[in-house]
Amino acid sequence: MLTRGTLIYIGQRLVLIVFTVVVVSFGVFAVVHSLPGNAFVSDRVHGQALQILLHEYGLDLPIPLQYWNWVKGIVLHGSLGVSLYIRGLPITPLVLRELSVSAMLGGSALIVTIGLGITFGVLAAVRQNSWVDYLLTSIAVVGYSVPSFVIASLGILIFGQWLNNLTQGALYYPEPWSGTYGSLAELSLPAIALGFYTSGQITRITRAAMLDVIQQDYIRTARAKGLQNRVVVIRHALRNALVPVTSILGPTVISIITGSVVIENIFGIPGLGKEFVESIFQHDYNVTVGVFTIYAILIGFANLAVDLVYTVIDPRIRY
Amino acid sequence: MANPVLQVQDLSTSFFTGDGEVKAVRNVNFNLFNGETLGLVGESGCGKSVTAMSILGLVQRPGKIVNGKIVFKGQDLVRMPAEELREIRGRDIAMIFQDPLSSLNPVLRVGFQIDEAMKAHDKVPADQIAQRGVDLLKEVRVPDAARRIKDYPHQFSGGMRQRAMIAMGLSNRPEILIADEPTTALDVTVQAQILELLRDLNQEMGTSIILITHNLGVVAGLCKRVIVMYAGEIVEEGPVDQIFESPQHPYTWSLLRSIPRIDADRRERLKSIEGLPPDLIALPPGCEFSPRCPFRIEKCFTQDPELETVGPAQRAACWVTMKRAYAEMGAADITDTRPGAASGIRPPKGIEARVADRRELNAPPLPTPASDE
Repeated sequence: MLTRGTLIYIGQRLVLIVFTVVVVSFGVFAVVHSLPGNAFVSDRVHGQALQILLHEYGLDLPIPLQYWNWVKGIVLHGSLGVSLYIRGLPITPLVLRELSVSAMLGGSALIVTIGLGITFGVLAAVRQNSWVDYLLTSIAVVGYSVPSFVIASLGILIFGQWLNNLTQGALYYPEPWSGTYGSLAELSLPAIALGFYTSGQITRITRAAMLDVIQQDYIRTARAKGLQNRVVVIRHALRNALVPVTSILGPTVISIITGSVVIENIFGIPGLGKEFVESIFQHDYNVTVGVFTIYAILIGFANLAVDLVYTVIDPRIRY
Repeated sequence: MANPVLQVQDLSTSFFTGDGEVKAVRNVNFNLFNGETLGLVGESGCGKSVTAMSILGLVQRPGKIVNGKIVFKGQDLVRMPAEELREIRGRDIAMIFQDPLSSLNPVLRVGFQIDEAMKAHDKVPADQIAQRGVDLLKEVRVPDAARRIKDYPHQFSGGMRQRAMIAMGLSNRPEILIADEPTTALDVTVQAQILELLRDLNQEMGTSIILITHNLGVVAGLCKRVIVMYAGEIVEEGPVDQIFESPQHPYTWSLLRSIPRIDADRRERLKSIEGLPPDLIALPPGCEFSPRCPFRIEKCFTQDPELETVGPAQRAACWVTMKRAYAEMGAADITDTRPGAASGIRPPKGIEARVADRRELNAPPLPTPASDE
């Protein structure tokens, strides 16, 4: 499967990712540094003292030069720089830890998305125009019509307030963070709230793709062979229907990443998304740019992964 | 030829659409005998494929078998539980489809798709499946079979795909093979190879074959007996030589006449059958072919003829060629002028001119298209 052509393709895509990440990070670097105010506003330092602080952190240099220094830090020391809010704290370990928390949430949301979306889509298609179809399609429509923060708030209301003895208050992460990734109970509601929107879309596309594929001649061939219905649906129909589903996995991952910013703030999950929002308010430039850059890298690799998944699902696609 | 391996009795299959009941197959009766090659011919939409799909229980909603029996080994396939029918499908009765481009799953390897047919049933021992897959591909003359079996369908040519389809159909050594337009999408040389392959199978393995096609040349090349369908009904059946020699139903005659001939006068236009097959939701009263029939008489518009014997093992459903109809019309004045008068049966062949005269005398005017009410 990993032919020479595929390797060359991956190489080209990696170059493209590097290019994209440079452009994105420079863009956000320039924007963040142009925000009114500075990192030390809350310290109420002025005049000479401020100049000394700015100089100490290299913030008095022209922006392209600052960017260059920031890139040098990453390349030479693998460091995203230091925090300006908690002055001098190296942010790399912090960000990586938050990334792991977010990855946990995002991964769970992706499982919810794909699991629910594909299951619902297949069931709705197989039982087209029955009550099962109408019910699942309706859930999907609700899924992609209602914003995730509404779902999240409703979830907190229902499970956190009305059914509190069910969750034992496990909906909120302890502050400060205890270092655990949260139990299944802690993770499930945020993950569902985050994955609900995208699962609605996956349901819709899976259903449409399945209905199309079921009409194909090769499904009739599979039935004529005397295969069991389950085998026909899963092995023959779903496998083909996954091709269009895969094509929206890229946007799905992006939805989950951007959605996680909202969800983490609602549930108080100490992940990248929460840090991202806080760092903007705190003028903690390095954190903002660092998190943004990580997002750019994640999205770049997610899209590459999707394109490679294509080749696994459909042998006709080769690079 | 004594015992039928498959008996189709009074089969009617309809599709229940928003516009009404589409009667795709109506009261079809036929037997398939052991080791026989039976052709099923007719225009598109005449019910050939639906008949085949009904046999295998593959008619999907909104289609439904509304009446009839399909008897295989003493069991009625129509009333059989789904799971039992699934076990017969692909095992005892296999089907290969037209358009090998779309009939193979594009994301699964050819070998996998062949092996899968064997794994679904218990006829081939599990440890022999892989080897048999390769052997089958060799048998259907796919070159370099051991290597090609790992290919995906898109790496196969059209002819090879059809061969792979046939290999799949034969994998469980079925007693009956239904081939639905197996050569339609292929060029002529490949067509000939595929037909030869089917012929060998029939002769060497004794597989009974139902060949569905609109290509009469293909029928002539492979089949011993032929059934002609029109608008969901059988209009004529009999031995191939006999039907080609003296077709008794005007539809069969028209079909044969419309085959382009290489020795025909170049200035002559291609002959076609005027008009279109009837709307299967609102069938015309009387004979379904009457609106297009050049030989029709008044009776054709009011009464639907049934299959009657018109020659040795040959039956047709047509008032014009039926002894009984002539008798009713006062056969005396017609018998003298008919070719084949000795048998009392009048083949439509060569009667065009005389019928034209009669049309002026007896036949009602060409019907206006059914008015929308």
